[in-house]
Amino acid sequence: MGRMSTVTAGPRADGEVAAFRRVSKSYGRVKAVNGLDLVLRPGETVALLGPNGAGKSSSLDLLLGLREPDQGSVSLFGGTPRAAIEAGRVGAMLQSGGLMGDVKVRELVKFACDVHPRGHRVDEVLANAGITELADRKVDKLSGGQEQRVRFALAVAGANDLIVLDEPTTGMDVSVRQQFWASMRAQADAGRTVLFATHYLEEADSIADRVLVLHRGRLIADGSSAEIKAKAGARRISFELHPADGPGEETVLRTLPGTVSLDVTGRADGVRTVRIRSSDADAGVAALYRAGLYPRGLEVTSLGLEQAFLTITGEQDAADSTEEDAR
Amino acid sequence: MRTLIQLEVMRSLRNRRYLMFTVLYPALLYVFFISAYSGGNVAGGIPAKSYFMVSMATFGAVGAVLTGNAQRIALERKSGWVRQLRLTALPGRAYTFGKIAACAVTTLPAIAVVFAIGAIEGVKLSAGQWLGLAAVLWLGSFVFAALGVALGYAAQPEAVQPLVMIIYMLMAAFGGTWFPVSGSLKNFARFNPVYLYNQLASFVQPGHSMNTTAAAGMAGFLAVFVAGAAYLYRKDTKQA
Repeated sequence: MGRMSTVTAGPRADGEVAAFRRVSKSYGRVKAVNGLDLVLRPGETVALLGPNGAGKSSSLDLLLGLREPDQGSVSLFGGTPRAAIEAGRVGAMLQSGGLMGDVKVRELVKFACDVHPRGHRVDEVLANAGITELADRKVDKLSGGQEQRVRFALAVAGANDLIVLDEPTTGMDVSVRQQFWASMRAQADAGRTVLFATHYLEEADSIADRVLVLHRGRLIADGSSAEIKAKAGARRISFELHPADGPGEETVLRTLPGTVSLDVTGRADGVRTVRIRSSDADAGVAALYRAGLYPRGLEVTSLGLEQAFLTITGEQDAADSTEEDAR
Repeated sequence: MRTLIQLEVMRSLRNRRYLMFTVLYPALLYVFFISAYSGGNVAGGIPAKSYFMVSMATFGAVGAVLTGNAQRIALERKSGWVRQLRLTALPGRAYTFGKIAACAVTTLPAIAVVFAIGAIEGVKLSAGQWLGLAAVLWLGSFVFAALGVALGYAAQPEAVQPLVMIIYMLMAAFGGTWFPVSGSLKNFARFNPVYLYNQLASFVQPGHSMNTTAAAGMAGFLAVFVAGAAYLYRKDTKQA
């Protein structure tokens, strides 16, 4: 049986917070996680992106030991996930994590502080999570966004080294969301490793220093947000070519370095509008001048992580379907 | 683990609907039965006020632990609280222990209130008998606490309430809660934990000693329910 849950140790373990080694997990015939290989390093703030059903929540479940992998192994701080949780090194806020009813917010948070091996003081945790004013409310009487903040309080009730958050800002309005990320940043600044799954790409773009893109259970991109954008050809170069400045061969445009796609439209007066999507806009523009072209109204704009994300997952879909056709 | 148990006990005692159902309801029924029999005996010659004092105490205790455990666990499995607890340093069994401890505390008022009414209505027992009876009924309730845990892991919250009610009412009806079991019904009653539970109290009747057959039967049911609960708990943990 290839059922090896969690054995890892040795010298490598020092520099790694969490590691997935060739991890797969299926539910029935659906491969939720497919050969995931991944190492999280201390102090990183990592965003986990992916469309619904990409395997984000499943991966987090495996990471936290809530489920066992079918194949491969998961380790946290060089040991089993359970050992790391018992040592109080991990705090987690899950989408599917419920709250105990019939108790007040303060009582629930106090409970979390008490059972944590390195628990903080209740008032401190309530303040950090921004729920001091909710302390005497019954847990059952909270709004969705308030519940999320209580869940966050449970996740940071002690001195964790890793904080795992699954879609943490769902149900929060914009101002609360900003407050939330401010308290999250404070956690990261204190040297904690933070892993969060989100579908708000601007959150990943502005907060994470590393972005992972999961698609159909596979890791299809791993890098800084800038690198992911570059990989997707996520900058747009646009300019006009005027007939007065010379002929300007289109073959030159096609061979520009980093070009992902090229679109040229001509007008009756001979002015051509060129739009290039490029993974290396700097080199592209330099080559443009080197080839003797004179681009007018030159603009280089970023397409944003969202566009990059759609491009990467779209390319993967195309590749998958070609692969299926080939069979 | 103590923190969790404290919290579980507190929220049970705070839940008014739960206390109404498990304390007030059996007490009112007891008063009703006493007046319905107007000082007479039930079939078999036991005074109604003594007979129903036991059967209403067990009725309240079983109701408290069955509904308390089964519904709470089913609901909290669905809400994800059980998952959330697995992310704490608490061992997995702490949750179940907390539930059973909360039950153990909430059965006490159910038993005490019915006993108090009995004493006022003139049930005469020695101090040792009162204490012994309370202890036996309290201990017996753990059998049903284990059954409640098993049912809580066996079914979804929508299904668990009717399931618990059907099991509870059938066991009560054929276990001597509403009327003494006699004749051929006794053959089946031997396999009914509520009947055995009521039989545990027979030692307070004149000329009776502790019913060891009933005690052994209760121990057997406890083993079966604990094993069932442990199996269902492990199965649920793998799925969650």
